[in-house]
Amino acid sequence: MTASSILRGGWLALGLSAALSGAASAGEYSLTVDRVTIDTGDFRKSGVGFNGSSPGPVLRFREGEEVTIEVTNNLSEPTSIHWHGLILPFRQDGVPGISYPGIGPGESFTYRFPIVQAGTYWFHSHSAFQEPDGAYGAIVIEPEEREPFRYDRDYVVQLTDAHPHSGSRIFRNLKMSSDYYNRKQRTLLDFFDDVDERGLDATVSDRMAWGEMRMMPTDIEDLQGFLPLINGKSPEGNWTALFTPGERVRLRFINASAMTYFDIRIPGLEMTVVQADGNNVRPVTVDELRIAVAEIYDVIVRPREDKAYTLFAESMGRTAYARGTLAPRPGMTADVPDLRADPLLTMADMGMAHGAHAGMETAGMAGATHTMPDGTVMDNAAMQGGRDHGAQDGMAMAKADPFYAAGSGLAPKAANGGKMLSYGDLKAQKPLYPHRPATREIELRLTGNMERYIWSVNGVKYADSEPIRLIYGERVRFKFVNETMMSHPMHLHGMWSILDNGSGQWNPIKHVVSVSPGTTVFMETEVDAPGQWAFHCHLAYHAEAGMFRKVVVEGGPSDERAALAAPAGG
Amino acid sequence: MRSSGLFRALAGATVVAGLVGPAAAEPLLWGVRAEQLEYRVNPDDQLFAWEFDAFLGQDAWRVVWRSEAEYVIEDTAFERLENQLRLQTPISDFFDAVAGIRVDTPDGPNRVFGVLGVHGLAPQWFELDADLFIAEDPAVRLEGEYELLVTNRVTLIPNLEFDLPFTDDPERGISALGPRLETGARLSYDLVDRLISPYVGVNYERVFAGTADRARFEGEDVDGLFFVVGTRVMF
Amino acid sequence: MTDLRYLRRLAAAACIAASPALPISAMADATHGHGGTQTHDIGAPGSAAQAERTVEVLLYDNYYEPGAIEVKRGETLRFLVRNEGQLVHEFSIATPALHRAHREEMEMMVEHGVLHAFHIDREAAERMQTSMGHGMHDDPNSLLLEPGESGEVVWTFPLEGELAFACNVPGHYEAGMVGDIVLTD
Repeated sequence: MTASSILRGGWLALGLSAALSGAASAGEYSLTVDRVTIDTGDFRKSGVGFNGSSPGPVLRFREGEEVTIEVTNNLSEPTSIHWHGLILPFRQDGVPGISYPGIGPGESFTYRFPIVQAGTYWFHSHSAFQEPDGAYGAIVIEPEEREPFRYDRDYVVQLTDAHPHSGSRIFRNLKMSSDYYNRKQRTLLDFFDDVDERGLDATVSDRMAWGEMRMMPTDIEDLQGFLPLINGKSPEGNWTALFTPGERVRLRFINASAMTYFDIRIPGLEMTVVQADGNNVRPVTVDELRIAVAEIYDVIVRPREDKAYTLFAESMGRTAYARGTLAPRPGMTADVPDLRADPLLTMADMGMAHGAHAGMETAGMAGATHTMPDGTVMDNAAMQGGRDHGAQDGMAMAKADPFYAAGSGLAPKAANGGKMLSYGDLKAQKPLYPHRPATREIELRLTGNMERYIWSVNGVKYADSEPIRLIYGERVRFKFVNETMMSHPMHLHGMWSILDNGSGQWNPIKHVVSVSPGTTVFMETEVDAPGQWAFHCHLAYHAEAGMFRKVVVEGGPSDERAALAAPAGG
Repeated sequence: MRSSGLFRALAGATVVAGLVGPAAAEPLLWGVRAEQLEYRVNPDDQLFAWEFDAFLGQDAWRVVWRSEAEYVIEDTAFERLENQLRLQTPISDFFDAVAGIRVDTPDGPNRVFGVLGVHGLAPQWFELDADLFIAEDPAVRLEGEYELLVTNRVTLIPNLEFDLPFTDDPERGISALGPRLETGARLSYDLVDRLISPYVGVNYERVFAGTADRARFEGEDVDGLFFVVGTRVMF
Repeated sequence: MTDLRYLRRLAAAACIAASPALPISAMADATHGHGGTQTHDIGAPGSAAQAERTVEVLLYDNYYEPGAIEVKRGETLRFLVRNEGQLVHEFSIATPALHRAHREEMEMMVEHGVLHAFHIDREAAERMQTSMGHGMHDDPNSLLLEPGESGEVVWTFPLEGELAFACNVPGHYEAGMVGDIVLTD
């Protein structure tokens, strides 16, 4: 992305906003899907963008309006746009083969749907590998009512993991050799280091244990070699947000990556998380947060000093980082931290630590308050301390984030020893639905074969699967059991995912629920949207490799909804 | 169960994907993987040699064209040229069953074999092939390979190939139960991703028992040690 | 970890300040003169009889109506405060430095089970009082209200000072639940 194309994107967004001023409650927008050249500064690649650029524009909607969005496909292949996190009639959801047939080359499709929510969301192509190839943008919806927090200015901070290879090539390479992109494997030199540190016996038995499973403790990022971008800017490009000291700045973090989780921090500033996945949460102040693929967190920061602050987002596997700057004036920079040590998966992440599930259940019940009966403060980060390196440290943790397997090598810690956001901290500011017991539970085991790069649900990949059938009006409790060694950000379209973190009525309302290796996580869904929907892991290549389901909601006012939402074009 | 999946997959593969969602129709995947593409030299001989797999398929099945050759530069002739067409289907998480045919060149009688085998990744990361070649002159072949990462780009790859013929095949200088062993070690460097990984190494070949006797009788060497330079290719 | 000694001092200051004879301003200066922050008078509790005006302040999740208050220098105001939100909120008049210190105290109250999102546990507050010498704050410059509760603060403002009203329940101040008190002539 060049600076000029970012600007162009910005002006386009402004233009779109201006187009909104016509009818009081109808926004009209148009988007084109185009082949674009993405110049990251490090490499140039052919990709897919919107309105001639990648990232696409920021679409600004208003809660309560009805939007009309005409999408024209200028590609020589089919395309689609999915409005990630938006609650809308299923025909408008933009998933080819589920919502509609897609948009053929040279054709147009007009989306029309009411905006019934507020907050930060995003949109992306749901066709082939267009999203990893650059077809993504942000959505900001102004609320009807005043928000339970205050800010002086706001910025979209959209992260992505641009890769020099095309999505289809990446997928083929992973299928051919699942460790194709893993340049963090343990080597002979590591072996000697470990022998020095831990002794020959321990090292050999460790290597044998992993070798027996034919799995790798370094298998945290299937895809390495990417360049993290913030709003299309590389770390060199240094995307900069301006502020006046003392102002409250709202940062709308959107992880639009194909495959990469990020740990985000701004050294010197605390971040107060006020929204998760577009929904207000009770404000929680943290030093650092991990954002799963396709998740969204809105935070408020208040830089008081007249100096620059670095916005630093390390990939979970510590192979790369995104970097931007918050500064009072353009051109200012602050120190850029080093990447922290590589994490290693442990046997706990393999699901070998029995009781990890029980641990989750307990955590779910007890909630995630850090209050101890004796009044001591539990400071996870301080307990964990030190290097990220593996099981030994991890095992010693007294109280870890319950959303990671006990002894997990992935459990995050704040770089400054302070507070790291946990799913347990998220509490809905206002419940969206009355709290009630779920009518039934559906178990979804997240499964896969790393060697063959086949990802599946309950051992069955999408191509061989039957749809999940839900009944309009029920409240379903989904039980995710992650039997793989990877984290899976599960995304249900069309209906909210109420994450059970033990907060009962105040369980947070999300659209992506990340399930760490070796853990069981519950979420509940009020089945209030008729039609058929996609439900999948949001890691692009996992979804493509089969960790994907069609959900069919039976019953409900489907006739009216279907009629209302009848395809207008395409 | 397995065969019906295979049938479905084969049927599905013939359908051209239209405007469908992700993963709705599994795409056909293909790839080429050459473990050896090299120049072999010792004071007596200079050879070109290759060993590659090219595949097309899906999760449930793959068609693999496997080719192995040794071309003697001085003779401008192949000392060995085998081509196999192998159909693979998973039988476990890490292993595939293989069925196919093998055609050897140069021509001659009995140069076509049926192939039955398994191919996969054994515990501790050994890549294994075990094939039974079915013909009038049947044989078995065991192949193993290991990738030892010295660094994340420098790899030492020892390999071993063991052929055991069950019958005499005089035209090819083979005696029943006179095995051929080929082993080598190659130190490669991933130059461009894993697309091109040049290497240097050694390759050693030796025949035993009756086959060795035949070689001696013909005045040929029973073994050969070569210095090799070449590249691995994966795309 | 919070500095306990500091908290005790703060608590002591608040207790003494509760006696109407002593102006709180002196104590505030004495206890919070460190840290390089500018210190100012925060004013003193007043009596309803002195109040020149009554200002109604509504507490929502997580903001105030009104968002800022203008006060004449030295004026005594009566604040009628009602929590219209679903969460526990505070109305506290102080300097930024005092608010900052108070937020640490509030965090301790959360950790001790005194302060919950939707209610205040008075028994836990007493236990905290016994173990630490400080539990519930009964400072005359602030009100901690459960949803639906109301209260009254009468305050005589100083002639000078950097003052704000704020909710120091963890996260709320950071989310912007704070308003300026503008001293006018």
